[in-house]
Amino acid sequence: MSGWLRPAILVASKDLRVEMRTKNVVTAVGLFALLVVVVASFAFPTSGQGREGVAAGMLWMAFLFASLLGMGRSFAQEREESCIEGLVASPVPREAIFLGKLISNLAFTGAAEIAILPVFLVLLQLQPGAGLPLLLLAVALGTLALVTVGTLLAGMAVQTRAREAILPLIAIPVTVPAMIASVQATSAALNGKPVGAAGSWLLLLVAYEAIFLLVALATFPYVLEE
Amino acid sequence: MTVETRPAAAAARLPGRASRLLAPATLGSMALLVWAALAWAPEDLEQGPPQRIFYIHVPSAWVAFLAFAVVFGASIALLATGKQRYDQIAAASAEVGVVFTTAVLITGPLWARPTWGVYWSWDPRLTSVFILWLIYLSYLSLRSYLPDPARRARFSAVLGIVGFADVPIIYLSVRWWRALHPAPVVLVRGGPQMPGEMLAVLMFGLATFTLLYLLLLRIRIDVQRAREIRGAA
Repeated sequence: MSGWLRPAILVASKDLRVEMRTKNVVTAVGLFALLVVVVASFAFPTSGQGREGVAAGMLWMAFLFASLLGMGRSFAQEREESCIEGLVASPVPREAIFLGKLISNLAFTGAAEIAILPVFLVLLQLQPGAGLPLLLLAVALGTLALVTVGTLLAGMAVQTRAREAILPLIAIPVTVPAMIASVQATSAALNGKPVGAAGSWLLLLVAYEAIFLLVALATFPYVLEE
Repeated sequence: MTVETRPAAAAARLPGRASRLLAPATLGSMALLVWAALAWAPEDLEQGPPQRIFYIHVPSAWVAFLAFAVVFGASIALLATGKQRYDQIAAASAEVGVVFTTAVLITGPLWARPTWGVYWSWDPRLTSVFILWLIYLSYLSLRSYLPDPARRARFSAVLGIVGFADVPIIYLSVRWWRALHPAPVVLVRGGPQMPGEMLAVLMFGLATFTLLYLLLLRIRIDVQRAREIRGAA
């Protein structure tokens, strides 16, 4: 693991440097998340009883679709100018490439989410109050789960004939458990509940993360094999 | 990648000696199962005739799960050995699994409507099977976007492993999710214990459907091989 960390940070810092210059991915993810929230506000009832549950669902729909868009973009950039071949040819373990892409995807998605979250709370007139720690924890763990599976599958998707267009198709079904847990924990948070109120959902997210981080580290080397 | 080196021998196996024995055995058992399920098994006092769909429904669910477990095993074997044969097994098994999951999703609501009063309920088992169906449809869809056989084998193996690793956690998440809501009253089942004849028919159904799975798997593997040979020639 220690042998992976340094090259992983190198891969991630390369992505972050590119992103600092172009701001392609973060803008796309943030704008797309905002658009989903806006469309969902027209589509679903955002007032009255149970609106916190509806809002939690809207937020995660936005985060899911936007993060998939971002991860697809992030790998598509590797494909352009054959960067991916350079990565594969470099003396970096494949697992470290995965961890590096995971870190940069987390940074992009996380940055966009931090920008969207306050806007979302204001637009939907939500006041989590005491639920704020749970809200942040749910967003952090849910995002980690989505991005871990998403990074693995995005690496495959961009190498298919359909490019990243196929990513939602293969990623959404397997992320269902993470989505259920994230929505439930977020719904509790928007109702002002403390962290303990959604303990089992947070644990489920941790278990999901543990399983898929292991699966991703074990299988990602085959995704980059030529 | 390793292409089948004996195209003539492989072609001669179509439809294959094993499936030539398997086919009559499966067909005979299927005929017997239809008779046993519709005529021999006693009628359920509470549910009446609709209960008989159970002899098709449960074996379909068993075969679906078996098929996806085989996809998982074959996917691991493919990544470990790189032998294209395992990809053929995984692909064939996923196809058969999707067909039987579809059968589960059709026979379930047909039984649920007269018994529960609704076609669908977001019950943990129903929901889990539905999500599994979506996962393996996406698996087959991914395959169709990968023209290169070696890459198709590797990528679909990754999704075959991810999909199956998801099964326990899907079930757990859906169970907890539903536990937060009151169960619909129609779901309450206080039926009597299953009589011996019913259990016997169910067991025979499971055996018959396992044969049917093996037969269909065999046929689909042969089709995959034939395609590969045609592609390589």
